[in-house]
Amino acid sequence: MKFRLNRRSLLRGMVGSATVSMGIPLLDIFLNENGTAYADGSRVPVRFGTYFWGLGLTDTPAGGTRWVPEKIGSGYEVTPELKAIAGLKDKISVFSGFRAIPDTKPNLVHWSGHASILSGTAPSTTSRFEAASFDTRIADAIGTSTRFKSVNIDASVSRRPISYSTRSGSTFSSPDVTPLELYNRLFGEGYQDPNSDNWQPNPEIMLRQSVLSAVTDQRQALMKSIGKDDREKLDQYFSSVRDMENQLAVQLQRPEPREACILPRAPEELPKAASVDVVNANTKVMARLLAMGLACDQTRVFNFVHTGGTSETYIAGERKIYHQITHDEPTDTLLGYQPQSSKLAGLVMEGLGAFLEELDGVKEGDGTLLDNCLVMAFSDTGYAKIHSIDNIPILFAGGAGGRHKTGQHIHEEGSSVTRVSLTAMQLAGAPVGEFGTGSMRTSNPITEVIA
Amino acid sequence: MIKSIRPITNFVLLPAILLLTPVSVLASWTRSYVIEWNELAHYYGADTGVVEPGTDCPQGTNPEFNWVEVLINAGYTREEAQWLRNPANPTRSPVHGQNQMAFRGKDRANVYINPESYPDTGLIGVSGNIGEGINLDGNEDTGFVSPTGEAGIDNTFYKTLGCWKTYRGPERLSSGALQFNDGMRNGSWTMVIVVSGEGVDPMNDDNVMVGFYMSPDDMVKGGDGNVVEDYTFRIEPHKKYEGLFPARTENGIIVSTEPVTAMLRDPGYTRDLELQEAQIKLEMKPDGSLRGYVGGYRPWRPVYDGWVNARGPVIEALTWVELPSVYYALKKTADYPAAAAQSDRTHISYALRVEALPAFVVSPDASEVVKKVVSYKDQAPQLTEPSRGLFSRIQIVDGIVIDSRLEHRAGPDAIILPSSNP
Amino acid sequence: MKLSRKTVPLCALVLTLLFAATEFNPISAESRDQLEKTDQLTIAVRRLTESQYRHTIRDVFSPEVEINARFEPEQREGGLLAIGSAMLSLTSSGFEQYFALASSISDQVLGDELRESVMPCIPVAAIDHDCVRQFVSRFGELLFRRPLSAAELDARVATAETGASQAQDFYAGLKLALTSLLVAPEFLFRVETAELSTASAHEYRLNAYSMATRLSFLFWDTTPDKILLDAAASGALYAESGLQSQIARLSESPQMAEGIEAFFVDMMQIDGFENMVKDPAIYPKFNQLVSDSAREQMLLTINDLLITNGGDYRDIFTSNKTFINRALAAVYRVPYTSQEEWAAYEFPEDSERAGLITQIGPMSLWAHPGTSSPTRRGIKIHEIFMCEPTPDPPADVDFSLVQDSTKGTTRGRLLDHMENAGCSSCHGRSDPAGLALEHFDGLGQFRTLENGVFIDVSATLYDGSKFTGAQGLGEFLHDDPRIPSCLVRNVFSYGVAQLPRYEDRDYLQEQTELFANNGYRISTLFEEIASTAEFYHVRIPEGIKANSEVIATTP
Repeated sequence: MKFRLNRRSLLRGMVGSATVSMGIPLLDIFLNENGTAYADGSRVPVRFGTYFWGLGLTDTPAGGTRWVPEKIGSGYEVTPELKAIAGLKDKISVFSGFRAIPDTKPNLVHWSGHASILSGTAPSTTSRFEAASFDTRIADAIGTSTRFKSVNIDASVSRRPISYSTRSGSTFSSPDVTPLELYNRLFGEGYQDPNSDNWQPNPEIMLRQSVLSAVTDQRQALMKSIGKDDREKLDQYFSSVRDMENQLAVQLQRPEPREACILPRAPEELPKAASVDVVNANTKVMARLLAMGLACDQTRVFNFVHTGGTSETYIAGERKIYHQITHDEPTDTLLGYQPQSSKLAGLVMEGLGAFLEELDGVKEGDGTLLDNCLVMAFSDTGYAKIHSIDNIPILFAGGAGGRHKTGQHIHEEGSSVTRVSLTAMQLAGAPVGEFGTGSMRTSNPITEVIA
Repeated sequence: MIKSIRPITNFVLLPAILLLTPVSVLASWTRSYVIEWNELAHYYGADTGVVEPGTDCPQGTNPEFNWVEVLINAGYTREEAQWLRNPANPTRSPVHGQNQMAFRGKDRANVYINPESYPDTGLIGVSGNIGEGINLDGNEDTGFVSPTGEAGIDNTFYKTLGCWKTYRGPERLSSGALQFNDGMRNGSWTMVIVVSGEGVDPMNDDNVMVGFYMSPDDMVKGGDGNVVEDYTFRIEPHKKYEGLFPARTENGIIVSTEPVTAMLRDPGYTRDLELQEAQIKLEMKPDGSLRGYVGGYRPWRPVYDGWVNARGPVIEALTWVELPSVYYALKKTADYPAAAAQSDRTHISYALRVEALPAFVVSPDASEVVKKVVSYKDQAPQLTEPSRGLFSRIQIVDGIVIDSRLEHRAGPDAIILPSSNP
Repeated sequence: MKLSRKTVPLCALVLTLLFAATEFNPISAESRDQLEKTDQLTIAVRRLTESQYRHTIRDVFSPEVEINARFEPEQREGGLLAIGSAMLSLTSSGFEQYFALASSISDQVLGDELRESVMPCIPVAAIDHDCVRQFVSRFGELLFRRPLSAAELDARVATAETGASQAQDFYAGLKLALTSLLVAPEFLFRVETAELSTASAHEYRLNAYSMATRLSFLFWDTTPDKILLDAAASGALYAESGLQSQIARLSESPQMAEGIEAFFVDMMQIDGFENMVKDPAIYPKFNQLVSDSAREQMLLTINDLLITNGGDYRDIFTSNKTFINRALAAVYRVPYTSQEEWAAYEFPEDSERAGLITQIGPMSLWAHPGTSSPTRRGIKIHEIFMCEPTPDPPADVDFSLVQDSTKGTTRGRLLDHMENAGCSSCHGRSDPAGLALEHFDGLGQFRTLENGVFIDVSATLYDGSKFTGAQGLGEFLHDDPRIPSCLVRNVFSYGVAQLPRYEDRDYLQEQTELFANNGYRISTLFEEIASTAEFYHVRIPEGIKANSEVIATTP
């Protein structure tokens, strides 16, 4: 007889305000764990994407905030600049107070913030990251069985294409910058309709199967003459192996006809202008194409740029660009913030709202495509007027296949942004335990949002 | 909320360290600090807001320009001016847009480097009589009255530029101060202050020295995002940035006993904060912090050049001034040397507001706690010539961004409208 | 504070939890017959800890192999993660993580940079049967901690050759074989086996490879090396002289520092620093760097005192020799007079510090986010160093009075516990040690006042012992007989990854005396324990079944 497991001793890690990552070490609990699964045992894949917008949101040192909710935890209130995502609030977690920490490096304006979030290291010069952007690690983990490891999109209609996805730190991926380019990538030459008969298995999958078969071959030898508890442990281990085998087997079969996957029509050209109405229209059209690309399993990882770091978007008919307004508009005495900047921030966030609604509009399994995605939306600055890299707004949208405990507001004053990045990697399924360097090195994900 | 009571004697020597310290330079008491905030000592006379009227600026700050009209006045056609200012056109393009704003002088001269090629369109200065800083000339009849009633405060820099939007606002909230202090607190540079005295009572000591030094060590932010006290900073011997002030203390307030020449690190575009006849007035607060002013006469031309080199068109558009007016204003109000004719005055009275937290300051090799204020310039390496005109990786020439890869550039002869651009 | 009427003092019962129940012996004569037909019994399956995994990969392949992965959470039982490791398996998502990590390790090990130093042979073609076998059998043995069976070897060779022929690349195939070894249960779990002793046909003894594994993980926190495996293979470990020479070899190696450190990290619960939270309004100096540094300070102190200097274990409660860095210096409010990342430092007498437990690490870890906690500190001191766990408080306590931290001292607030009979049985044990540490706040910063009131740090234990302040507590702990006996118990439990049995009490008592005679030296204690038969004792697990039945019940 073994001594009893004390259930309370497991929960003791919860004292204080911190939730401690406990896992579920009790056999009877994890034996029942199934995850989100189809009837045949294959999982709906989790997709991951980044969504970038320029110039942050309004949170002034004078105390006026237009985006940080007052309520911490679940059920946060919708703040003015988050209005565009109000309808999807329960599927979105908001992170405030996190900052980039450049240590001895300078704050390279409109660069250090997102370079830190993506690469974990403060950059030394503009135009380069010191390390790969973390989306590539996720793509390595979850993007290998689809036609594209990742898809990069820039909706900003800028002078030069913008992408912040890089493996080397110096070469950034070339994004699709028009709906037509994106359409051609996803649904042009080489597109395999999962609903058609013409389908080829991926030989890579068979090799992974052979890795596992060598393991499972030994099962009987191992299970010989073994105690009850030890057998349960090994049963659980082999059941985990079997889950993976099932996934592989499913990938070797002709894909399930995907009801949600319908070949979209080629998009029409949109006017080419960087004004916010055009960028948002572009965002919506490209999001719809992307959503179908995900539903048709052409890719599982994407990087989407709405507007660049030094955003040049503007309100059509007005004479200043957003970037200029963030710097030159004085703080309104009565309101406590810059009204025009805040208005633009709200308009820019409408792009994100439209983007997420497109993902949420595709039914998948019992829920929506968004429920199976983790979209990490973030910006380059906190308070753009002074190029602050404190309190950079970050949002997680989508349930990550049930792994993301959505609908929360996490506030950690002064904590490193890399903690959010690490959390995203773990939620998306990348086997990463540590991220970042210097003061931004962390192995401490934000457990509150991990189911 | 728990607030632990801080012993006033912050830096009691630890026995272990005393043993290690060579019996060399020892004052009878020492206190040391790290500057966690420094900004222009600009008295703010409004209740709230930045552009709103106040006793300092009864009309509010200098208003925003209509740049289309400015360009038309400078000789551009309305069509050209509108194209240049249309946000739908790439405004940072070296071909058109903002760079062309440089060329609005006589015969389209570059107004940033030839400000006198352009008329003085005026800059509204401070008209209130309250100001902050130090009575530099000892004359109580010149200058401002301090908020606490001290007469003769010399701060003409404030009088001249205090209604410029970027440099106006409540303490620690003007955008100019926020921008540079944010950078400093994030590690762009660090300055420490060491105060040492020979008397018995640090609060009342006639023989005090105050040293301002650079440090290679960053400030550290704590869980609440503020700079944390009690970190250790090494002194970084620096050929330029060092200031040593003979002083005395009176009820905890440190005041200069003789003016000196000092060079500090400027929390602004100029980098060099050179001060003639410099003095300090700093209070050792009961909570252990240090707060007050460093004042002196500052050469005004390098300050003007700082704005030009930070990209003239950007400064103009974002901060609502015409740089030639800033030039004229400084030139007209410069007040040092007092004996010189106005047109020959190269310096202007100036004050920096300084806030510093208790910190440990150690020798450059970190081997011992600094126990006396001395100069470290002899130990400093030669300065390497700074790469002037570089803003991030962009090359700035004469106040505008130069992209040599492009065929068409802004300039006196640039063709403005794309329709006439072959 | 209110307590329900039903609440009964439980502290007296605590000690019973610290020993396993009487040994389970299910083997009837009938089933013994069946057992004897099988070659070996699997008597324990323990998941590798993160540090064991990391050390193994480093030692088997190269320190250059980067391991960036998320490990499944570990669980502490009976005070030790080592015991908890016997309760853990792998979830599906955990397995995916290990699979991805295994692929990444294979890619690195057999990639261009490391391949040359690792390969035992040079392949002559995409399919090179001999070379694959050499590789798999060499590294299979190091990873499984025993030689591979023919079937295990053949399965990997087949995997390698399938891959190699498909890609027409020898290494592409070999990577698959290596990945397969790295995701195997025989690697991810320490599978301990027993076999019938040659000396007595009715007794089981620990298999020699399992002996080697216990030794290696105890002394080095890593997989057995080739020499140790060879000693197992030859049967040398079964002989007293063979065993002694291996113990001597292990303990003379510098790698023993890692083994001792791993033990103390487990025993002293030097974990949880990553998730530590402090209220920034109350402790503005706290940040992640302080937290990481506090942990490192503990390790450096232990290393210096107990390993490098081979000191007296009890001195951890009194020695003030330690190491600080710039961040810790700021919290301790002393200048940092070094250009190095860390510097040796000795707390002066007036700092009131006394040994390891008064450092920032324990003082902040055993506290609340916004206050110190004498109760928690006392509980931890009793639990970790005296092997006296405290039961959980009753479920219906009204904490509102205790929680109001804006008035008076924590000591005053805790008097309630002492005055209530239901509370005092436990709090009377736990709190005094913690109250003596009240000159250190919830971040371990020195103070003499709380809310403007002077803090009294005198303490009286339930047995009447009196001391004052951290230094008084340190001296008390230094001389308390429970301290060495608890350590001995923990080293033994850690090594065998099981709670000791009642039958082991005399044995542990003897070991404790020996420990004292040897000057309370840790490395000697490791050697002594590893030299005893008790360390290799076989406990037959519950529910063990004969071969045929197992086959019949496996789907």
